[in-house]
Amino acid sequence: MTSAWLTWPRPPLAATPREPVVAKAATQRISFSGPQARSLWQPRLERLRHVALAIEFEKVRQGRIPATLVWTDYDGVDALTEQARAIGLDAKPVKASLGYAADWPPEASIDEPKRLLDYAFLIGARPLDASIAEPAADGLAQAAMRFGYPACCARSWANDLRHGGSDPLASLLARDDKAAMPAHVALAVLGLGPLRHAPCSADCLASREGSRAFLDLGRELGFVEEMAWLEEIADWAVDASLVNGIAEITTATFRCTWLSDEGAARARPLRRAVMRPEKRKAAPGEPADSANILTEFGNGFEAAGFESPFAMRSRFSTVVWEQTAALRRATSAVHVGCREGLLLELIAQTKSKLKLYGTEEDAAAAEAARRRLGASLPVLGGAGLEALAALARLVPEGLDLAFVDPKQLGGRDALAAVRAIAKTVIVIGTDRSLHRFKDMNAYAAAMGLALLPGRAARVSAALSPANDRLH
Amino acid sequence: MTVEVRPLGDKCNIKCRYCYQEGIRTAGNVPTRYDLDAIMATLDRLAEPFSLFGGEIMMTRRPDLERLMQLGFDRHGGVGMQTNGTLIEERDIELFRKYRVRIGISIDGPGPLNDARWAGSLPATRRATARIEAVIETLCREGMPPNVIVTLNRMNAAPERLGVLCEWIRFLGSLGVRKLRLHLLEQDETEGGEGLALTAQENLAALRRLRRLEQELPSVQFDIFAEMAAMLRGDDARTSCVFHACDPYATRAVVGVESDGRLGNCGRTNKDGVTHLRAGREAFERQLSLYRTPQAEGGCQGCRFFLACKGNCPGTAIGGDWRMRSVDCPVWFGLFEDIETELQAKGETAISRSERRSDLEAKMIAAWSIGDNPTLHSLIEQVDAP
Repeated sequence: MTSAWLTWPRPPLAATPREPVVAKAATQRISFSGPQARSLWQPRLERLRHVALAIEFEKVRQGRIPATLVWTDYDGVDALTEQARAIGLDAKPVKASLGYAADWPPEASIDEPKRLLDYAFLIGARPLDASIAEPAADGLAQAAMRFGYPACCARSWANDLRHGGSDPLASLLARDDKAAMPAHVALAVLGLGPLRHAPCSADCLASREGSRAFLDLGRELGFVEEMAWLEEIADWAVDASLVNGIAEITTATFRCTWLSDEGAARARPLRRAVMRPEKRKAAPGEPADSANILTEFGNGFEAAGFESPFAMRSRFSTVVWEQTAALRRATSAVHVGCREGLLLELIAQTKSKLKLYGTEEDAAAAEAARRRLGASLPVLGGAGLEALAALARLVPEGLDLAFVDPKQLGGRDALAAVRAIAKTVIVIGTDRSLHRFKDMNAYAAAMGLALLPGRAARVSAALSPANDRLH
Repeated sequence: MTVEVRPLGDKCNIKCRYCYQEGIRTAGNVPTRYDLDAIMATLDRLAEPFSLFGGEIMMTRRPDLERLMQLGFDRHGGVGMQTNGTLIEERDIELFRKYRVRIGISIDGPGPLNDARWAGSLPATRRATARIEAVIETLCREGMPPNVIVTLNRMNAAPERLGVLCEWIRFLGSLGVRKLRLHLLEQDETEGGEGLALTAQENLAALRRLRRLEQELPSVQFDIFAEMAAMLRGDDARTSCVFHACDPYATRAVVGVESDGRLGNCGRTNKDGVTHLRAGREAFERQLSLYRTPQAEGGCQGCRFFLACKGNCPGTAIGGDWRMRSVDCPVWFGLFEDIETELQAKGETAISRSERRSDLEAKMIAAWSIGDNPTLHSLIEQVDAP
């Protein structure tokens, strides 16, 4: 095996292309569309690279073209020259170029610069005159024709070279023609054939003939399966574009890209957006302003024992999160001293079928809660015990859960009333209580309460059914 | 390099419409199964610290998630995790503690400020948001404050809402959150009509306000501002990927470990619904092209901030085409100008105003041309060497 890369296109070439081995660059920049595509096509492309080299050498051997140009790294020089000599051809180094840093072998170092270079070899019949790849006195077009270019393509390529071009595909893309780019033209840049010269247009008939001749020779040499792969590739749909000098080809199997010498001045900038699946439309809704949002969060945060509306919202969200299991089991719940109803709203969002109630002594806050929660969720007004008594009458069968801040309850009688209504009492820790007592256990103990053991109690906890002595 | 483990690819339970992964999901390119052994074998081979990522990582089966967490803990002393937070449950908190999981949570604000992270209906969205808020507070109370990612958009950073966002961030600081990452909403032509994106002026105003807030809150850091200042100082050792000449064909800063253990790229440039595999060669066509392309044609030619910015993230490129500079250029340019002015006022020389700038640019272009991507810091040392 050799690490050699055929140039694309065939000579004549620009004196100073941006990348000496565009075919190598483009191939190494292949990004497959998935693992299946890669497992099938990566070895095929690798095989095609070697087959293309063999076919090209055979063309030289048969005298159809006088020579071809191949690049290799330092470690591949011996193998390449041996491959040429094995079929009676000569290999002459004609150029060296600083290779690509990422390709440098790990053991190579600046002390051994020859291993950092890529080498161009002209491969031709003996005796090999290296000047045949140079523009002849009769001009670039004549040189191109010697290397197998049809006359139309030779003229076109010569013109491109004279205008500083070095990348035939980019040149085609930069032209404002609307012709679709056939796959065998677009993917010629990979140096795999069957198109080996720079075509004058995407639909050049002479270039098609040249491609066919390459395939025929390949089959004659026994590469039947490989030529079938090339024919399959020729049927692929491709999207080729050039934007600010960067060419990109996308197929269903892979995409690849390379930096072209076609500068911005000659480029056809891509002005359309990349095609992508249509997305669903965004959530409806006009942004409310800050005042409305803060109202939504709850104005009564200080009275409820919190330092900010954000703290109250965050805490109540955390209470609901902590009590997920209890809420899942429950069918009814009350928030005693519900202020503007934020906790009840958050509970309702989590379990909409739960039958919820609120009590609130402050008439304005109770009214705000009713506005927030709607008519289907009763918020009972009046003093604490009075509201609890009303709740007991409203729900004679009792409730599963009661959420309370013991600080706000007002005494032992109120707690007893809550206990009488609810099977489980959940204590909520506000900023005020948690800052003072540090954690729920300390808070409960200070209030003469005992928490149900067994669960983390960060900001809420169920009261133990044991007798409490609420202070 | 950040290694992102993505057992379920881009699969997510809430599917925010502005999410850069939405194209993949809409195209149906989301795995339904994963090969945990293959994933773990790849992680073994990479031998790098990793983050659990998605999509939504918490959709992974808990026993499998625990195996990944344990691997991260055993090999690297801990593991990162980026989540939307909506699926975290009480039992997960102990896992996080046990395996030293460093959690990042994406949320754009409390309640209605997070409505762009749509969960299918308004009640479902608000319910999801409340769960995220609860998880943040819980993690803070457990001594594991999460990092928070906020994407600026019309629902949380429009002029009439920006004040609320700032106050909420102040509250997060009081809870114990120390680090916030600010993202600009990814803009592209198909999303233009959705009405979520801020204008460049609004984005810039929002970032400037947040930068002032950062100076008021010594315990909270928005990493973006410090990173931009570091880039202007030429100190790019610890700045994030958007400032490091990203190659969308082989993203160096982010390597995805996908459902079958294969390596993937950062998904931000996947605009056509295809998760392309990594190319064999890293290259810098984008930066080389941007440097020589006039600004009027989508390039960065002549921009004094090019060395610091490098066209920013290709996933945010104009028209969704990675070959162009970031559509957010006016925002980054404005912020770089602010920071440059401040550095100069303090007597520091920003590389954007340095006499060595053109020399540094030439060295960087030469390096990119042969596929190398040196740090700015190393180039400055070269230039300064006697």
